Amino acid sequence: MRTFLAALVFALGVAPAFAQETGFAVRQTEVKKEPFSDAETVGTLAEKSQVKVFGRQGGWMQVESGALSGWTRMLSIRMNSGQSSIASGLKSLFSVARSGSSGTTVTTGVRGLDKEQIQNAKPNPEELKKLAGFTATQGEAEQFAAGNPQLKNRKIDYLRQP
Amino acid sequence: MRRILPLMIVLALGAFPGWATAQFNLNLNRIIDTGKNLRDATKEVNEKQEAEIGQEYAAVLVGAAPLLANAEVERYVNRVGKWLSLSSERPGLNWQFGVLDSDNVNAFSTPGGYVLITKGLLARLKNEGELAGVLAHEIAHVVKKHHLTAMRKGKGMEAGANVLSMYLEQPGQRSAVAKEHLVGGIKEVMLRGLDKDDEFEADRMGVVIAARAGYDPYGVPAVLQMLQSLNPKDSELALMFATHPDPNSRLDALDKAMGTRLDRFASQPQAAERYARSMQGK
Repeated sequence: MRTFLAALVFALGVAPAFAQETGFAVRQTEVKKEPFSDAETVGTLAEKSQVKVFGRQGGWMQVESGALSGWTRMLSIRMNSGQSSIASGLKSLFSVARSGSSGTTVTTGVRGLDKEQIQNAKPNPEELKKLAGFTATQGEAEQFAAGNPQLKNRKIDYLRQP
Repeated sequence: MRRILPLMIVLALGAFPGWATAQFNLNLNRIIDTGKNLRDATKEVNEKQEAEIGQEYAAVLVGAAPLLANAEVERYVNRVGKWLSLSSERPGLNWQFGVLDSDNVNAFSTPGGYVLITKGLLARLKNEGELAGVLAHEIAHVVKKHHLTAMRKGKGMEAGANVLSMYLEQPGQRSAVAKEHLVGGIKEVMLRGLDKDDEFEADRMGVVIAARAGYDPYGVPAVLQMLQSLNPKDSELALMFATHPDPNSRLDALDKAMGTRLDRFASQPQAAERYARSMQGK
């Protein structure tokens, strides 16, 4: 069973991180068989229906509510709060979460981005100089965008204030 | 009007200095000072000055939390960020991106083009498209100079204007006092946050800048939904939630603004694999 689920998750290209998440519909919304607006409608979620969220593709979310399952517009869904804690996120597979600090001696509770810590922060121009060493040139950025997957530049107007 | 009125007061009063009694003189000076500050406050800060303010601003941020000591991750974030900036209206700024070694979930930008994201937020993102959404939102703040607007409003307009004009009027030999005041003004903005409407605007612009750069436009809403799923009482979220409209109202606003308008770009890459690889320093 477990293997099957793993296979399913893999086949759908759905990040397993989604598996436990839940949300609700902010309005009555259609559920489609596939993540496209012209796909077959398999049902309708009533406003405030609770859903399990399995993944996202573009502007669509794969959801399940009772016997109903399929794809619904992502922005028709809001997530339930308090279902995952920061601590669990930091235990993620990303080594970024594990790597140490920059060799600066950090006294726990003194530095940081809490309100009091910002209030007491001393500007650190030396640390800022390190940042300059990491910048990318336009050429490097363009080369990066030409990689895999390729990022193609488009002309798109800004959205108007509704 | 805001620009013209104080100028008129200054001109009108300044034209008859001989009338001033000692008492009047004192008031006159105060009015002229106020007029000057109001005028400066609405005057455009030039690009060089903006860069200088940005440097002080960013120095405070890296003073609060050091950079993440992972050159590969820092370079990766810079490539994504620089590529996004090329799709903004200010591609020529000295854009510098960085990761702060903090478990707090937040991202910051400064005048002049510094953009910093915390390790705590980075670790919660699922793909490069979401990272692009966060960075593009910050880039929008820089493009629209939202921080300068917020600084001018510091403790009432007069004080905010003072902080900026005190600093800007002494090129070359910035006094320690002027600098200290500027840092105070910067911290105030960091703790109070930008205008709520400017946050909504940065969300709207962020989705478009990310889509222009070839990413899935739904990175910003995906990050907002992720924030929504966290426990709002977690201390790592306190500052971000205190300085931004709640994720729900941001999602409502994006929902209305986006509709299906960007759907034809929705199949653009999210680059989840490259993101995971880069976070592992590979």
